[in-house]
Amino acid sequence: MSLLWLRVAVLLYGVAALAVLPAALYGRQWWNRIAVPAAVVGLLFHFVSLAEMLNTAHHRLPVDTHETQALLGLLLAAAFLIVFWRYRTVSLGVFVLPVSFLLGLVPAFHPGQEASPFPQFHAGWIFLHIILLLAAYAALLLSLLASVLYLVQERSLKSKHAASGASWLPPLETTDQIALRSLLFGLPCMTAGLLIGSLIAQQTYGASYFMDTKVLLSFAMWLAYIGMIYIRRHSGLRGRRAIYLSGFVFLVVLAVWSANQFSVVHRFTTP
Amino acid sequence: MSRNHQLVLIGINHTTAPIEIRERLAIPSTRLADATRTLVHQPGIREGLILSTCNRVELLTLQEDGSTPNASLLQFLHEYFAIAPSSIAPHLYEYREREAVRHLFRVAASLDSMVVGEPQILGQVKESYTVAREVGAVNGSLDSLIQRAFTVAKKVRSETQIGSSSVSIASVAVDLARKIFGTLQGKTVLLVGAGKMSELAARHLIQQGATKILVANRTLERAEKIAAQFNGRVVPFDELYDQAAQADIVITSTGAQQTIFGKSHGQQFLQRRRNKPMFFIDIAVPRDVDPKMNEVEGCFVYDIDDLQQVAAAHLADRSREAAAAESIVTVEVDKYQQRIQSLDVAPAIRSLQEHAESLRQAELRRSAARLSGLTADQMSAVEALTRALTNKFLHPPMTAFREAAREGDAQTLAALESLYTGNVRSRSDASGDE
Repeated sequence: MSLLWLRVAVLLYGVAALAVLPAALYGRQWWNRIAVPAAVVGLLFHFVSLAEMLNTAHHRLPVDTHETQALLGLLLAAAFLIVFWRYRTVSLGVFVLPVSFLLGLVPAFHPGQEASPFPQFHAGWIFLHIILLLAAYAALLLSLLASVLYLVQERSLKSKHAASGASWLPPLETTDQIALRSLLFGLPCMTAGLLIGSLIAQQTYGASYFMDTKVLLSFAMWLAYIGMIYIRRHSGLRGRRAIYLSGFVFLVVLAVWSANQFSVVHRFTTP
Repeated sequence: MSRNHQLVLIGINHTTAPIEIRERLAIPSTRLADATRTLVHQPGIREGLILSTCNRVELLTLQEDGSTPNASLLQFLHEYFAIAPSSIAPHLYEYREREAVRHLFRVAASLDSMVVGEPQILGQVKESYTVAREVGAVNGSLDSLIQRAFTVAKKVRSETQIGSSSVSIASVAVDLARKIFGTLQGKTVLLVGAGKMSELAARHLIQQGATKILVANRTLERAEKIAAQFNGRVVPFDELYDQAAQADIVITSTGAQQTIFGKSHGQQFLQRRRNKPMFFIDIAVPRDVDPKMNEVEGCFVYDIDDLQQVAAAHLADRSREAAAAESIVTVEVDKYQQRIQSLDVAPAIRSLQEHAESLRQAELRRSAARLSGLTADQMSAVEALTRALTNKFLHPPMTAFREAAREGDAQTLAALESLYTGNVRSRSDASGDE
């Protein structure tokens, strides 16, 4: 049943991703009435599916790559709706909604076989660890996207003759705020997520856990994240250089994510 | 409009009459109620509305059939404005029925405006409508037509981009500022130099929420005068470079022969502002801002030519959108006409049904003696049978009426009416004689 809800959710994300195109690119307000409700209902079904899936599996936390991907898709769809609610813009949906759709597509139609070994105790804390880190990833992705849109809009305004070319994008100050606030939201999530993970690892595996590449990379990611926020806040970094910085941190995040494949102590395995 | 009334619109606008004629016919808003009242008191006019703007004066009327439409309206123009009909006749246009509906929809949707897509016209039509309703000049068919025109105008605005881009220099500047800053609430505007255009741009920015105005001018008195006008603060010209970084938007219009702001100034300002964007609107000729400043990340420089190019591009966009808007209007005119015609055919259908029922009742009464031996069940079976037969006979003509009305086929409608209701009437009269 949970798969059915997930498929419905993915379908709705697909509808929202298509409807957001005329709404954002051509300012056809009518399409907003399809895109936003479809995303809201999709999110709802996605949540139900996830809750049911985890409940049925009796582990109540996402343990394979597909479940984790699906959860990231849900968080991104939620981020799109928060941005819409706060800034009344659907422009970011042009990119975010297809990502949510694709992240949900594989788990919905090709459920995963991999699983992450996890201790049977601390399940609640591990769930918190996962969801906080995924929220931080989603925030970083949103921030990177907003920075790219900032640059596109800035270039468009500077080129003058093509001033109407990027008219569908939000104003510069709005994208800048989205970029910075996403990062500021992501920081406590990442900090708390890593802290919870570290405490559990310390209790379960001892100090050797912290010598793993994946774990070391995670702390490097956290430092890079803090450094990025510091630079952005104190120098008011925007535009091209902000993208380079966000892009660098995003690459670190990708490296951390990929490290799941070769980490000894923190990885998804085939059961 | 209906078979007893006709819709007539006459008027002049910026394409048919020079300003000398338009200003003679213009009706100020204070006299609009009186003029509308006078219009509907003309013989043959049942309902009426006057639209008077700087670009057009139009009289929209619903007149009784048989009246000479132009005569009443020309009489009104003659009486009210004391203008000889012959002097305005060459500038007048006249639309009737479907074309009048179409023209009204186009006017309300701003497709007939001098600047296509300008938003003021809808407000002006609404104002005329309010006045006409207040004096009782609009109360029936014209009311629903005008309401429909408002709906069509809204539809055009929401389904096309016809009014989304600015076409004047000042509003283009405001639009660009919005693309940079989003809301202009709380933004600081620095006016460097004095000029009508820069003052207009500043006024637009203030209307959009800019709150703090700084004024720098070589002549202190002039700066103080402008600052007082905008409730702003004077910046001494020799402190310009120290204070300019406070401004989010800088409007320059000095008569200086050399540029006032160079690229290095832009870099300094941005550094002081911690890279918060700055928008330079350079209206001066020769230019006050070095175009190279646009290369500084965070500085956006638009000179008068840039603004004009954007305005021209927006105007071209509007023309493209106007084609889509025209299609919407055409569809809506068709829908409206169909609705009116189907409403118009309802009395004919009702009369046909009533007549058939009266014939059925009469035949039953005539046969009452022969049917007296029937039981109650048998009698109700006869009732049902005659009713079913009547309905079956009526079905084809009623369908034909509705279809002809839906297709707007006036010729078939007239033929059907003559065939059924006309013949029916004559036969009914004949049976009465019997």
